[in-house]
Amino acid sequence: MIRNTRMKRISIVSAVAVAGAMVLSTLPAQAADPGLTSTEIKLGLSSPQTGLAAASYGKLPKAMKAYFDYINANGGVYGRKIKLVARDDRYLPQQAATQTTKLVLEDEVFALVGALGTATHTKAYAAAQLAKKNVPDLFVNSGFSKFGDKTKYPTTFMILPSYAMEAKIISKFIADTPTLRPQASFLIAQDDEFGEDGVKGFVLGGHKFTAPATLYPQGGLSSALAEGALTSLGKLPGNPVLVLMGTTDTTATILKAAEKLDLTTKFNWIVGSVGGDATTLKALGVKSTTIDGIKAASFFPDAKDTTDEYVKQFMIINTKYNKGVAFDNVVLQGMNSAMLTVQALRAAGKNLTRTGLIKAIEDKGSTFASAGLTSLNYSATSRVGYNGYWFGQLNAQGELKPYGGTRKIYTTDSTTVDVPVPLPDTYKRKPIPKNGIPTN
Amino acid sequence: MLRFITAILTSLSAGAIYALMSTALVLVWRSTRVINFAQAGQAVLTTYIGYEITIRTGSYWYGLMAAILSGALIGAMIDRFFLRPIFKRVKSGPIVMIAPVVATLGLLGIIQAIIGFIWGLNYQALAAPVSTDGYKILGTVIAFSPFNLMVLLSVTITMVLLTVLFQKTNIGLALRASAYSPEIAKLSGIKVDAVRTLGWAIAGAAGGLAGMLYVPDSYLHPNSMDVLLVFGFIAAVIGGLDSLFGAVAGAMILGFAINFAATYISYKIVFPTAFVILILVLLVKPGGIFSSSKGRKD
Amino acid sequence: MHKISANRKRLLTFILLGWALLLIGDRVGEFRQYQGSFVAMYALAIASIILLTGYSGQLSLGHSALMAVGAYAGALSINNLHLHPVIALIIAALVAGIFGLILGIAAARLSGPYLAGTTLALAISLPTIANQFTILGGEQGVAFDIGTPPARYGEDFSQYKWFFWISSLAALIMIWMVANLMHSKFGRVFIALRDNQTAAQLAGINVGRQKAVAFGLSAGVAGLAGGLLVMLISGVSPSAFPLSLSFSLLTGAVVTGVYDLKGVMLGGLVLVAIPEIADSVGSRVGGSDGFTIALPGFLVSALLILAVLFLPNGPGKLLKKKM
Repeated sequence: MIRNTRMKRISIVSAVAVAGAMVLSTLPAQAADPGLTSTEIKLGLSSPQTGLAAASYGKLPKAMKAYFDYINANGGVYGRKIKLVARDDRYLPQQAATQTTKLVLEDEVFALVGALGTATHTKAYAAAQLAKKNVPDLFVNSGFSKFGDKTKYPTTFMILPSYAMEAKIISKFIADTPTLRPQASFLIAQDDEFGEDGVKGFVLGGHKFTAPATLYPQGGLSSALAEGALTSLGKLPGNPVLVLMGTTDTTATILKAAEKLDLTTKFNWIVGSVGGDATTLKALGVKSTTIDGIKAASFFPDAKDTTDEYVKQFMIINTKYNKGVAFDNVVLQGMNSAMLTVQALRAAGKNLTRTGLIKAIEDKGSTFASAGLTSLNYSATSRVGYNGYWFGQLNAQGELKPYGGTRKIYTTDSTTVDVPVPLPDTYKRKPIPKNGIPTN
Repeated sequence: MLRFITAILTSLSAGAIYALMSTALVLVWRSTRVINFAQAGQAVLTTYIGYEITIRTGSYWYGLMAAILSGALIGAMIDRFFLRPIFKRVKSGPIVMIAPVVATLGLLGIIQAIIGFIWGLNYQALAAPVSTDGYKILGTVIAFSPFNLMVLLSVTITMVLLTVLFQKTNIGLALRASAYSPEIAKLSGIKVDAVRTLGWAIAGAAGGLAGMLYVPDSYLHPNSMDVLLVFGFIAAVIGGLDSLFGAVAGAMILGFAINFAATYISYKIVFPTAFVILILVLLVKPGGIFSSSKGRKD
Repeated sequence: MHKISANRKRLLTFILLGWALLLIGDRVGEFRQYQGSFVAMYALAIASIILLTGYSGQLSLGHSALMAVGAYAGALSINNLHLHPVIALIIAALVAGIFGLILGIAAARLSGPYLAGTTLALAISLPTIANQFTILGGEQGVAFDIGTPPARYGEDFSQYKWFFWISSLAALIMIWMVANLMHSKFGRVFIALRDNQTAAQLAGINVGRQKAVAFGLSAGVAGLAGGLLVMLISGVSPSAFPLSLSFSLLTGAVVTGVYDLKGVMLGGLVLVAIPEIADSVGSRVGGSDGFTIALPGFLVSALLILAVLFLPNGPGKLLKKKM
């Protein structure tokens, strides 16, 4: 029993204090998001650095890193430097699953950027529990329209227009071009996302091919088989339209088969945006004379178009921070995504959280500056990035120039049966921030 | 009709390359009783060497010679410095059966890794020395080019040379004797070890030739000949592992079956077709279609 | 003195091991739980190789294909037949086992390199069949969702711990069953097959049938491992079962002793550890991209060759000799 009132008060206060301390110590501390320190933001990327698709996409990690290095040298994002952890998944779904899980569990990245491929990323998204862990999945490099479905992929933001959009716009182009419309047309596509999304898009766009699509398994189209296919098609009258939707190495195989059979001018070639990088095609042995005249769709300015302010700026960054790597469409794409990422991080404010980042893109993403030629369509209800294409023709130097002289951009969506509409003349792409350093 | 002719021609070209691989496998089998899974790796490595020489000298032919010579050298070294120690150490227990297989598998992995270290893992293109544009027959261009003809001729000449070597020369006799019965061969004064190394050298050279003939129509990368290994093996088994003629015949049969199936049915059916043929032959005539001996004696 | 039978001892060992794993699983973070699940899965797959090669003397390079069969069977039974995940795993083992039995009957007449080469062809061609039938999902594959941990374990019971529990339990039970089998009359028959086929035949053993049975059993174990693998990567696709998986399993088996089941866990650890080691070596040493990416394959192959050269009978025998 405590006699002294003062002592009583002290003991009560101290008892309360001790009890309070005990209670507080058992409360879980406010868990900060992983991948963040006061000086660093860790981002993760799973993409093919080796193997089949590396011919097309091998340059992606270095390109993104180069841009991030540039930003780090110029103050970073509110003082934090960006560190990119890039893992190789060889374009294999199972590898992507394990690598992405490692990025989340072992490397403990704050967010994922630029994940590549459909089969790869759909697997990886599930395996790495991205939804449950609320890991932002920014600007995936895939045109698979379902990535825009918020209920299935709650933390994902697309950037590329979907393959369905691309197919619809190609349909419109064929219908609008007098030399192409009456010809027989065929689709040769990879037996996964390209095939399915593309086939679906052509149906939506109202284009009927002369025969069902030829689908080949990834990596399963040898030169002998390509020669066989082209030989049969070569017997048809006129100049059939051949649409190729696959990775660059298979596109190259088909084109080289055409060279062997002297059929390069027989067909009207249309290559998808993925397989149409002229620089890579040439490196794989396709002749310049073959490339000359191939038609392709794009939503970027051509990587060789030095009159474009974004291309110019990215080229400067590339020369300084990505030494020895030639600037091409993949590098352009990578740096563009990196610039969008930086703007997203800035928009989320100094108090960076995963939820905050996702909300920032929903709220402000449509105002970000980027090299793409259509608007960015992010909102509270839409996870779609670019939504359109312009049509062009490659020349012998591998430059994509607008078909018919002036560049006309068409926009559409992935689900409705309708005709793509041209972008209004009043639409102006947002100018690049000074020196390519966002200040939003 | 054109489709049919194209299928025949592409089958001939493909079969020729498989024949080189199956011959190399049969050579090693006959002299060592080992299935050399590293064959694909050796072939790719020597093709990379050929590729480097081609780039530096500007001539495919120098590259080809380099590939063949280095193939022979590497093959010989593998026998002398890798397999011989393994056979010496592993003498008892069931591991004897597994050891050579596992060892050549390990070697395959190491060779592919070394290629990755030195040349990276990107895809390279190697230009053919002669035109790859198809011949024009009666106004139509067919899927058979001067390069395809060169492949066929090279393989045919190689086969003829090898057959002459084996059947008509003393060295060939020594090779056959050492493979068939090493003890008796030794008693007759044949340096069995040296002869076996020679067998490996020839096989390695054949692999190098196969690679240089295969790659211009495809791409060069560390795994580019894995498929050839499987098809080469299947061809060798179909034809009978003990017969050089069988190796070639088996390769042609396989080439035709695969290409016709792919042309007339579907591209996806290539591997299953090869596997089905293998199983059929093993069930019906396990020794191989052209072998004279019954059964597969180890 | 009351002597505990070997079987009892074995059961006790496995129960203790299970208990230890349970405790470990509670103490480590999610990433280690994830890795642990892979160790258990690989250990099981290696056990299937030991069963076939170490005990019955047949060499198979196609176990990646057998795992694939089990995996697809399991995935389809969850997706299309809507069965409970545990049943799916059992189905995985059964379907793969039956497939292996049929294969074993065909392969019983083959030996040595012929068997090796045939299984090699199987390993390469089987995954491509997924592209033939749409029900198998092609390259995209079929999803496999083992479901979330039961609510009664609480909010903090991570998915990865759940994986770890399931993998370890399945592996423990299966390996225990196999170990019992191998120490029974069954196992002695297999060993007879391995060591001297002719003598076994003279002793009245139906060589062909027993070889097929061994194949079937091994395939069943592999099928279960395949089911576990796709649980861990949340879906099955052809690329999950490349030829290199067969090679890795063989390496694991040889390195830890192809004659003895005791080393399987070690083998599993080795297979999981090698890519990690290669990763850290690669990032420390630097070098070109080609170097870092080719390094794991190099280490696995080098390990395999060293094991064959210096430890052909596995480290177990080596230790026994020293004692």
